[in-house]
Amino acid sequence: MATTLTEHAPHADAHHHELSFVRKYIFSEDHKIIGIQFLFMSLFFLLVGGLLAAIMRWQLAYPTDAANPLPGGGLFPETMVNNGIILPEFYNSAVTMHGTIMIFFAIMPLLVGVFANYLIPLQIGAPDMAFPKLNMASFWTAFPAGLIMLAGFFVEGGHSSAGWTQYAPLSADPEWTGVYAGQRLWLISMIILGFASLMGAVNYITTVINMRAPGMTWFRIPLPTWALFITAILILLAIPVLTGALIMLLFDQTIGTTFFASATGGEPLLWQHMFWFFGHPEVYILILPGMGFVSEIIAAGSRKPIFGYAAMVLAIIAIAFIGWLVWGHHMFQSGMNPMLGMSFMVTTMIIAVPSAIKVFNWLGTMWRGDLHFHTPMLHAVAFVAMFVIGGLSGVFVASTPVDIFLHDTYFVVAHIHYVLFGGSLFAIFGAITFWYPKMFGRMMNSTLGKIHFWLTLIFFNLVFFPMHNLGIAGMMRRIYDFTQYEYLAPFQGLQLFISWSAFVLIGAQFIFAFNFLYSLFRGEKAPQNPWHANSLEWTAAPSPPPHGNFAHTPTVYRGPYEYSHPDTPGDYWPQNEPGPAAPAPEPVYAE
Amino acid sequence: MEYAEAQAGAGAAHEGGTSTKAYFVVFGTLAVLTVIEVLIPTRLGFPKNVQIILLVFLALWKALLVALYYMHLRYEPKRLKWMVIAPFPLAVILVMAVLTEF
Amino acid sequence: MTTHAAALDRGGMDATEVGMGVYNMKLGMWVFLLSEVMFFTSLIGSYIILRSAHPDMFAQPGEVLAVNLTAFNTFLLICSSVTMVLAFAAIERGDQAKLKAWLIATALIGMSFLGVQVYEYIQLSSHGFVPSVEGYSAAGAPLYGSTFYTMTGFHGFHVFVGVLALWYLVIQAFRGKYTVANHGAVEITGLYWHFVDLVWIILFTIVYLI
Repeated sequence: MATTLTEHAPHADAHHHELSFVRKYIFSEDHKIIGIQFLFMSLFFLLVGGLLAAIMRWQLAYPTDAANPLPGGGLFPETMVNNGIILPEFYNSAVTMHGTIMIFFAIMPLLVGVFANYLIPLQIGAPDMAFPKLNMASFWTAFPAGLIMLAGFFVEGGHSSAGWTQYAPLSADPEWTGVYAGQRLWLISMIILGFASLMGAVNYITTVINMRAPGMTWFRIPLPTWALFITAILILLAIPVLTGALIMLLFDQTIGTTFFASATGGEPLLWQHMFWFFGHPEVYILILPGMGFVSEIIAAGSRKPIFGYAAMVLAIIAIAFIGWLVWGHHMFQSGMNPMLGMSFMVTTMIIAVPSAIKVFNWLGTMWRGDLHFHTPMLHAVAFVAMFVIGGLSGVFVASTPVDIFLHDTYFVVAHIHYVLFGGSLFAIFGAITFWYPKMFGRMMNSTLGKIHFWLTLIFFNLVFFPMHNLGIAGMMRRIYDFTQYEYLAPFQGLQLFISWSAFVLIGAQFIFAFNFLYSLFRGEKAPQNPWHANSLEWTAAPSPPPHGNFAHTPTVYRGPYEYSHPDTPGDYWPQNEPGPAAPAPEPVYAE
Repeated sequence: MEYAEAQAGAGAAHEGGTSTKAYFVVFGTLAVLTVIEVLIPTRLGFPKNVQIILLVFLALWKALLVALYYMHLRYEPKRLKWMVIAPFPLAVILVMAVLTEF
Repeated sequence: MTTHAAALDRGGMDATEVGMGVYNMKLGMWVFLLSEVMFFTSLIGSYIILRSAHPDMFAQPGEVLAVNLTAFNTFLLICSSVTMVLAFAAIERGDQAKLKAWLIATALIGMSFLGVQVYEYIQLSSHGFVPSVEGYSAAGAPLYGSTFYTMTGFHGFHVFVGVLALWYLVIQAFRGKYTVANHGAVEITGLYWHFVDLVWIILFTIVYLI
């Protein structure tokens, strides 16, 4: 093996003093530790979001059934669950908080907080982020934001109940929801979290632009880093608009301003526009990094270059760019100017094109490849399939006349979960499994990984596919008791089926949780490059890398997708390898 | 490194070339433009629409002076200038699109 | 390929050829300022939109707000931008004494700006121009107060943070921390300060003169 691949020194950086436990693992400035901190924090919130979903599904399974009390309902105060019956106010806050926690405290930090932090410096050949102290501040700002968000469950009046989209005037006037402190805590937490995101974005952008190793030109950057870089730009420019809107809403609530209160001259529609101007780039923030991870995993798992690397980069940029121009498609039913509505419909249809290019390129990568269906590959391929379904349902709701019927129905719930769970979450599971060896120096158990994957894939589809039908039939979102509508009563059986599939789905996630935690201590020791991948985190740094990442700054000679290249004997060619690479003696995790 | 070497040779004017005199010329321009701006709604009797156009134009002119000379953008690499332009089209699109609603 | 491109920039003035061509802290500050553009867009944009929707709820220039006093305040802030850029020019040529003097001047002028704003707020609210619906009795309608105080308040908050940063720079300057080769902190604080001035130029025009 060439020397560049096997060098690892205990300390690769300039300082040689030992840090205390607190400075090393708690208030750490090392991007890898910070990434792992985000990982533990967001996996916890993923669990909380899942439990909230379980509560919602119990209510939808047994809307009026006192004979089926909520299991564990006795643990909740009577203001939330009374004699096993979930109260409507609590249901509304469960709906709100499921969305809020999943989007802002689970998926976003899992994609960005974890992987932007962990991967970017490693993949570009840098010793750390541009601003390590700012990075530490970013985590330690997000963490209290999370605590404040959790606190909202424990105050009088309960947590925010106006939906994660917080439309005014429902969200602006406590009188409508009966929620006082909870709403304020929600707003304050979100404002603080916004700062954390912004700090991260400044760091990621500066690092990718300025700290690439020699030879790491823009078009040799691996796709995860490209995707995370573009995502950081979206965060940088979208989050401040949300922050402004949140501040205006908080002021309406607390100091009596009237931005969104129509009786005194405010405009509820202004909230919708401000929120969705942020909200649409936000959903691309939630999918682009996943697309980057999937590209990496599929190329490595097919032993083939990614099909159309340049097109993949341009597609990411195109999606991000057009994504600023589509926000009105969340507001087709708001009574907006029809000309404006039509413009949004056109831009939304257009954005399907670069997304489709990416799908075809993933398929092109796999075509006639030497396919290794290890656990990350399974998740990555499932991502492509589920994302296609989610994208297709998106075309339906993108069409304004169709959306008139589908807006605020379960059809939209199906669409968002196909892209957020079928898309982002599968990408996250794949990415965690793929980079786990680099992070922790151990492999996750592959048998458990596959059991978790198949159970998740099957039950995910059983839960969310029928929601397309429910939506078309007119089942509305956020409804506490749909049986009050005669035309919906026949769907009680389907709701019951979905709920029980959901309970199995949620239960299956504990297999992943167990695998994750168990493998930390008992997982098979990982070699430096178990997947025989080309990028610098695999080829130039041990598993796990030391502080400072690389013994010497790597020099990059080629792009990251030179798999099965004719000029080199092995089926991969590390980016930092000057000449043809010799085949590696260590096993590749092929099964 | 190279930047420090450039420093040593450059003396009072740094590699961008804005001298102290230039700062005061900009300051004078800003002061005069501000006076003109204040006169427009208070003394000069233009119709409201004309006032708005003039005032926005003057404000943008002042902002550009601060950005180009005080923030040194005029002498920064072109890549940085392009980067700085990025949010403005978005800001314009947001405000213009929502204005069509009202 | 360059050999120094991956050096971890520790706040010095090493310009890299790879990348943006400016050192990390400067690039980081510019990137941050772009996010601030979007933040002020949300507030000022909301004002423009709300005023366009309900013109009768706002007042004409000078009806409620003190144009001349604020024009003087605008002039003050512009002066502070000049002193800031002179401070930067001073350390660029190694003049420690002038650096300290101009930094102190900038901080003091910034504090005066805030002082005038606070005075203005007190005057306005004593005449019934308040941010809340309750207690509003000035010309126009409460929406005017809501938007005015939010926009100018957040700008003022940014000035306040800038003043804190400036005093921090003063302390560091007295400790001899800045040299010709290493004064990134002065430059990036300058960028922030000029930006805050720039936002005020826009705000003053849109809120006080239109």
